[in-house]
Amino acid sequence: MKCYICAEKGKDSDAVAICIVCGMGVCMEHAKREELENWEGGYPFPAKKLKQNIPRILCPPCYEAFHT
Amino acid sequence: MTTSLAKRCVAELIGTFLLVFFGAGAATVTLMLSAGEEPLTDFNIGIGYFGGLADWLAIGLAFGIAIAGAIYALGRISGAHINPAVTIALWATKRFPTSDVGPYIIAQLIGAALASILFFGCTGPDAVLIGGLGATAPFHGISYTEAILVEAIGTFLLMLVIMGVAVDKRAPEGFAGLIIGLTVAGIITTTGNIAGSSLNPARTFGPYLGNTLLGGQNFWEFFPIYIIGPIAGALIAVFLYDWLTSE
Repeated sequence: MKCYICAEKGKDSDAVAICIVCGMGVCMEHAKREELENWEGGYPFPAKKLKQNIPRILCPPCYEAFHT
Repeated sequence: MTTSLAKRCVAELIGTFLLVFFGAGAATVTLMLSAGEEPLTDFNIGIGYFGGLADWLAIGLAFGIAIAGAIYALGRISGAHINPAVTIALWATKRFPTSDVGPYIIAQLIGAALASILFFGCTGPDAVLIGGLGATAPFHGISYTEAILVEAIGTFLLMLVIMGVAVDKRAPEGFAGLIIGLTVAGIITTTGNIAGSSLNPARTFGPYLGNTLLGGQNFWEFFPIYIIGPIAGALIAVFLYDWLTSE
């Protein structure tokens, strides 16, 4: 699979990840990696924040859509 | 990593405050509304004057909606037990740490007491002299033992529902607050006119202390009913549920 963003610009780069929202293939340069807090439990017990976060990879358009 | 014990206790205090302010407050206002009316029987103290069981349904819904709100707002912070009987039942089955039981119960009692005092602050002396701050007591003709029994049965249902819709990992997510609130409303509708349907030692403690401090009636002789009944009912429910769901 090739990077969609690079392909739009006429470049040919291999995708290293897929956007979890839209499924777009992205190269290392265009992959946006975020860490989400991971919580366990809840009523009737206090929720616990787990030590390990959950990684999420987005393409630039989806990343922007979530952050604007 | 969980929220600190101090913050969880503040959440328990707020949750129990909401339960008593809005729930016991609804009972107080109903008594104030019916003040001066001639009850048809000794069994009618004023709640029931307007619409029979509908009065109790309204009070039950005030409790239930406040409980649902507290669970959704504070459940992830402290667990929103807002009831010493629930805290003790979860502790008895090793689901809740011993070190947190005392602070949780103290926070719940303080929240309940503050609610009664602030309700008086909002409504004035009639809330105490007519409404009794929504204090629970056995109704005319109900014995001490009968009152303990009905409180135990009511809390048994409450705790069984908590186990089924919240503690059990197979329970559907997101429904606990709504279902538990509606369950409390239903229990109060049926058993409210028997012994007040406290189901919660803190809910009874707040109005009792408020009455003592603010010149109201002395209800303390009835307090053991609302300790023994709810705790016994919750313990039976939690152990029974564990037995029913064991392999």
